[in-house]
Amino acid sequence: MNSMAATPSNLMPEHDFFALEGTIDAQSEPFFRDLPARVRHPQVRFDFSRAGRINSMGIALLLRCFKDIRQARETEILLEGLSPTNSMLFKMTGVFLLAKPVPAGGNGREGAQ
Amino acid sequence: MLKPMVAVLYRDANDAKLWEEALKGVPGLLPITVEQNVTLSLARLRRAGGSLRLVILSARLYPGHCPDLAARVRAVCPGSELLLVSSSEEPPPALTPLLADRVRHLAFNPPHQARRDREYLPEVVSRLIHRRPWEICSCLREGTTIHSFPLRSSEEKEALIGALEALLAGEGEEYQTLRQKGALLADELLENALYDAPRAPDGSRLFRKGEKRLLLPQERIVLSFGFDGETLALELSDSWGSLEPEVVLEHLARNQEGDPIAGDAGGRGLFIIWRFLDHFHLNVQPGLETVVGGHLQLSSGRDPEVPRGFHITELN
Repeated sequence: MNSMAATPSNLMPEHDFFALEGTIDAQSEPFFRDLPARVRHPQVRFDFSRAGRINSMGIALLLRCFKDIRQARETEILLEGLSPTNSMLFKMTGVFLLAKPVPAGGNGREGAQ
Repeated sequence: MLKPMVAVLYRDANDAKLWEEALKGVPGLLPITVEQNVTLSLARLRRAGGSLRLVILSARLYPGHCPDLAARVRAVCPGSELLLVSSSEEPPPALTPLLADRVRHLAFNPPHQARRDREYLPEVVSRLIHRRPWEICSCLREGTTIHSFPLRSSEEKEALIGALEALLAGEGEEYQTLRQKGALLADELLENALYDAPRAPDGSRLFRKGEKRLLLPQERIVLSFGFDGETLALELSDSWGSLEPEVVLEHLARNQEGDPIAGDAGGRGLFIIWRFLDHFHLNVQPGLETVVGGHLQLSSGRDPEVPRGFHITELN
């Protein structure tokens, strides 16, 4: 991870929102390890529109993070802003079995730092 | 009369017709339509056995219809390499039987064949007959520059990926996708060489994923790539030669056929490389060198969900 920020939104209180930024790889481990504890609502949205490359280690972290979120409670995970390459990657590695791709919400986003 | 160097086993006449065009021009080809009589077909193979360098098996026969076919062919033609061919319009063959039978070459016949795809199968056959390993320049137009970068430390990884992206500097969605795929492939290739390849004598990893490290004094990692305006070819060589063909096949099979969310099957990086390349090649000289690479097209737009072939070659 070169740089990554996640901004939980307070504009749409019915769900949590994280905008991801930068490369997602082995360096992102602490960030994704701590993220599930920050989820408060039954729906969580992740915005990947400013995320860069996601390698196999990044995929492993995302899978573990999403599993942890879903295990804690019946949380729906939505993914927006995916590039075609990251969509292909998520489809072939099973990420879409845990989280659903959706069009960008258009609100609730405060922007990544 | 030319002694057959290549035999191909089809399930029936329809199957043979499917491959007629793709294998046209392969010299010394012995076509055998198995129908219901595997024993008779194997007897024909045995008679030609001495000259055969390659036996091609149709996926309509193996592994589904005749699960023991690869083992029986090996028994009558022990010196021949095996190549499994499958139509990309049919369900891909299960990989686990290939692992058990050491079938290390799988090729698909694309439904809409571009010129280079039409050339693909005869080129693969020629390489297997002559025991010639894949080379990065083989899929690029003649005269294309190959850029090679020896690595000195893990911290050079991003600069090398940047150099690859800079080479693919065109505009538009196709170029953007090719840059993203190329960057991901380079990342996975480098990660494999930096953290998976280096092994202690007991097989344990020497380095932890993501840790910063310098290359060891005798260690060599070289990333090479070239782009001819249509095809991007990449190759990563390391001086460990620690990637075993069966382990690679096992990784591909587990990631393709296993439950991705049940647990980490291992080898996800290799699986991604395989699926993102149009053609995947691995050459291993045990204890000396591993070369992983392949190519992808600017305009192919092939979904990674579409099955891919592989060529895993152990060089002695």
